[in-house]
Amino acid sequence: MSLEDLVEAFINLEEEKVLKNVESLVKMGKNPYEILEACRRAAEVVGERFERGEYFLSELVYAGEIFNNVMKIVLPLIKREIKPLGTILLGTVQGDVHDIGKNIFKAFAEAAGFKVIDIGVDTPPEKFVEAVKIYKPDIVGMSGLLTIAYDAMKRTVEALKEAGLRDKVKVIIGGGRVDENIKRYTGADEWADNAIVGVKKCKQMLGLGG
Amino acid sequence: MRVVKESKPKTPEEALTERRERIEKAVELKEPDKVPLILSSCGDLLRKYITGHDLYFNYEKAREAVIKFVKDYQVDMFLPVLGAEGFIFALAFAEYPDIAPAVRFWSGPMHDILKDKFTKWPGRELPEDSIFQFIGGQFMDIKEYAKFSEDPIAFVNEVILPRSCINLEKIGSPKANAALIRLGSEASKALKFLVDVTVDLANVGMPSLPLTSAYAPLDYIGDFLRTPVGVLLDIRRYPDEVKRACEALVEPIIKVALALKPAGAKYAFIPLHLNEYLSPKLYNEFYWPTLKKIIITLYEQGIKSFVFFEGWHDAHLETILDLPKGWGVALFEKTDVRKAKKVLAGHTCVMGGIPSSLLLEASPDKIKEYIKNLLKEVKVGGGFILANSVEIPKDVPSENLRALIEVVEEEGRY
Repeated sequence: MSLEDLVEAFINLEEEKVLKNVESLVKMGKNPYEILEACRRAAEVVGERFERGEYFLSELVYAGEIFNNVMKIVLPLIKREIKPLGTILLGTVQGDVHDIGKNIFKAFAEAAGFKVIDIGVDTPPEKFVEAVKIYKPDIVGMSGLLTIAYDAMKRTVEALKEAGLRDKVKVIIGGGRVDENIKRYTGADEWADNAIVGVKKCKQMLGLGG
Repeated sequence: MRVVKESKPKTPEEALTERRERIEKAVELKEPDKVPLILSSCGDLLRKYITGHDLYFNYEKAREAVIKFVKDYQVDMFLPVLGAEGFIFALAFAEYPDIAPAVRFWSGPMHDILKDKFTKWPGRELPEDSIFQFIGGQFMDIKEYAKFSEDPIAFVNEVILPRSCINLEKIGSPKANAALIRLGSEASKALKFLVDVTVDLANVGMPSLPLTSAYAPLDYIGDFLRTPVGVLLDIRRYPDEVKRACEALVEPIIKVALALKPAGAKYAFIPLHLNEYLSPKLYNEFYWPTLKKIIITLYEQGIKSFVFFEGWHDAHLETILDLPKGWGVALFEKTDVRKAKKVLAGHTCVMGGIPSSLLLEASPDKIKEYIKNLLKEVKVGGGFILANSVEIPKDVPSENLRALIEVVEEEGRY
């Protein structure tokens, strides 16, 4: 039983084995932070496989589920505060109630070390503005599946401008139907049509490579 | 040889025949006189004329909006899909061919009657000028797969409908019975609306597709029973149960699709959802075998399939060649139609190619240039229909839609 075994089982998406390994490692007194780091490394490899076309969305969904289940065991055991890479405020925009993409992104952003504040679906521009004031995120992530989301994203960017907050945050839009054209239309800084690219771009926007 | 600009205006009958033949030739993998241009809308585009709420709750206003659109934009066919996904109900009534098709798509009033948890509507759960949204839900427990597979129709009627529709919570209660009677009455109105729209379109020279519908079994489980994420986890944890459930769905789905055969249906619309999510291994194990069986059975019964391949279908493109030549029409969302045409030429009619984001953001000249280059590559040999791959946003400028129509006129001729 080692961290290497855990990483390998995670990359191969062997859910039962991963959870058993985590439990044994915890019992053995392994530092929970090291377990978390191992799972982060594994999630990164899953992302790389997705980018190479070896893994598909269903593998991302499964990896996200496994990661969340590991976190349920490990997070309560970590006593010291973990400094996040940055904070992402995340929501599906007004009029759109879809959240599969948002949730996959959230799992991988957390796995990468971001703190994610999820303000839900059908989120009006005012609510984004309020949340930016409260949480002071580095990045605002707007998600949407439908074409009506384009306009809602644009209105949200405008609301951030009006509130004088636009230059205090980076804005990324995400969803299966966004692209360079929609980025221009909405006034966002970046776009991503899958979670892995989304996380990468979040890192890049904060000058963290990726 | 056909002249590009015809001086004498066509009568609606002439235009209708010409457009229908144009589309049919493309479906038959031949070269028509011109590449057919088909646009469709689930609502966003039609919000140019009325609010989202009126579009789904007021049949007369919706009719007017459809006619306004086709008068403003003379395409070869316009497909308004103004109902939400109600295949769960069609399947519940699979044994009753007079009822199944009538409850296939839900209008706004039908949502009010059922108080279903699958959909959300403008002016109800969503802002007034939004569009309807299908969200689905988890209405079946993991332990119930076996019972579902034993008799899917009975299970849907007895277990899923009461759980998923507030007004059907207690089977046999006055409330539930009243809801079903009201649903029947509303379904006739919704059906009349569809017939009226078909006539309206014909009156301005525009054909309609004689459509029925089917569903991919794994999508059925994802959309109506377990949620998409739920079923993706189920195939890891309980693969055999999921496979059995998919197989049990084949026959009822075919029954629903064939219900409209006597009325003259020629195409079965099948919107795919989970195709993009699956690796080739999982696709070929859990998704494609039962879907393939449905498409082939319908083809043998004289019904071609009209499949919307949502998202990226690149990894599974070659599997389409498993189907008999001329099986139907493949509408692609993100898969490049150039690539699809290369793989499927002479076998499958390829449809799509207009990026909605381009229509929204580019200039008319840019749009023309893009479509011109696209047509150069894909029109050769026929078997191609130019169409929007996802909804066209309301804010697409009129001049951009006109540029699209013009460039097909200029560059689409054979």
